[in-house]
Amino acid sequence: MHKQDRRSLLSRATGLGSARKGVGHWWAERVTAIALVPLTIWFLASVVALTGSDRAGVVTWLRTPSAAICMVLLLVALFYHMALGLQVVIEDYVHSGARFAVLIAIRLACFALAGTGILVTLRISVGG
Amino acid sequence: MNSPTRHTRPLSPNIQIYRPQLTSVLSIANRVTGIVLSAFAVFLVIWLSVAAASPQAFATVQSVMGSWIGQLLMIAGVFSFFMHLSGGIRHLFWDAGYGFQLRTIYASGWAVVIASLLLTGATWVLSIYMAG
Amino acid sequence: MNEDKTSHFLIESSDQLPLVTVLKRFPLPRKLGVGKESRIEKGKRWPVPIATASRVKTFEIYRYDPDSGDNPALDIFEIDLDDCGPMVLDALIWIKNKVDPTLTFRRSCREGVCGSCAMNIDGTNWLACTRFIADTDKPATIYPLSNMRIIKDLVPDLTHVFAQYSLIEPWLHSTAPVPEKERLQSPDERAELDGYYECILCFCCTSGCPSHWWNGARFLGPAALLHAYRWLIDSRDEATGERLDNLEDPFRLYRCHTILNCTRTCPKGLNPGKAIAEIKKMIVKRTG
Repeated sequence: MHKQDRRSLLSRATGLGSARKGVGHWWAERVTAIALVPLTIWFLASVVALTGSDRAGVVTWLRTPSAAICMVLLLVALFYHMALGLQVVIEDYVHSGARFAVLIAIRLACFALAGTGILVTLRISVGG
Repeated sequence: MNSPTRHTRPLSPNIQIYRPQLTSVLSIANRVTGIVLSAFAVFLVIWLSVAAASPQAFATVQSVMGSWIGQLLMIAGVFSFFMHLSGGIRHLFWDAGYGFQLRTIYASGWAVVIASLLLTGATWVLSIYMAG
Repeated sequence: MNEDKTSHFLIESSDQLPLVTVLKRFPLPRKLGVGKESRIEKGKRWPVPIATASRVKTFEIYRYDPDSGDNPALDIFEIDLDDCGPMVLDALIWIKNKVDPTLTFRRSCREGVCGSCAMNIDGTNWLACTRFIADTDKPATIYPLSNMRIIKDLVPDLTHVFAQYSLIEPWLHSTAPVPEKERLQSPDERAELDGYYECILCFCCTSGCPSHWWNGARFLGPAALLHAYRWLIDSRDEATGERLDNLEDPFRLYRCHTILNCTRTCPKGLNPGKAIAEIKKMIVKRTG
């Protein structure tokens, strides 16, 4: 059974009104996208150059300060961009009560992944 | 205003019948490749973690990557990357207000498709060359 | 006929049809996400009523009769091309006159000005009065505008999209004293509105926008946003800031993902996609 909706058409279209926000998300998605253009190309080029090498090769690579810095920057931009992008996907398609739970889970997972990635990169680059 | 209807009116079909066009196909491609790349981003953290952990763990992951299914996944990942990259650059031009003529929309769209294929092929050849 | 049929891959204007279509529809299950009341069943076959008809063309047309209690169905009609005018709207009128008088659709001007006969022809939205029968598929398929609640046959309930249109307050806002004569605009200021004021509100764009399919309750859709932009850039309007406040919302405006089905389908050759991009630029401009 559908709940009877006797609101006026304009009331329905208005809903809860304008959030008066949205440009922040949109802008951050673009800024991280621009950052990711050089960072991801650098990463792919590095991985291609490392094809076939063992752990020692990877460790040597990440011990160079420039590679470590770029990797940290990549992880920050990547997971920021990923959190924003997946948020939009969920908002588009998930309309059930699970929506906010999924949005929170995605955001937390992206934080955790970025943090873990940065930590292990630093661990490789500074020693151990 | 609110016409009383005895039963819910049918919704006319949308995606079930709407013709796929370069516009919508590349839009959904950008989204799908973004989701694929999210999975690869998770894998990147795993890869870094095993590199930090031990040579044995790293060798295991490398051998999975080297298997034929791993190679297939890598090619899919690289293709997704180039598609999302070139599609994303196309979007950045739109966001700046450029490229909205239909001819430009189609030309840039086909350019995205061709560039992703060529760059994926080039990367594949290069990595085979690097592997020796 | 479409004069420029030379281009397969580069579409230059929205009235061009692709010569090669890889897929007529997305390869998804036909019943995916379709409510019980919206499932389309097999319909009736209506043979051409003229025995001497030599050039017969088949149309598959969506039917729905609210009084019958039945689900929508896809009827098959045959028309005699030698007895019928050249446009898809002529074919519909021919069927109504000669085959089934209950076939229901909106039409008025029959020259692409009123926007009444917007419908889904061969998978994309267009005006039935400005699409040649000769340019349609064999058989031609006619559905109502996509993703609308259907009143009868090809008549969609447009009240929600019109409510969204009224939400952007499509009239001049001014608190300045009313001038004695007209409110003046320079020729340049007037020219700014070119490409935006011509919209006839047929809703081909909004109905063809996947983002509006999934979030139509909150996303305003290309037609309303194109009109919003038309008032944002009107040199006589004094409510630009308030208008942007009302638009800046993750759903109302930012559900637009620049898919550009809108620009591809506009039967007036307008560019809602560009209008929305310009609104986003205006909002960035006032924050930085």
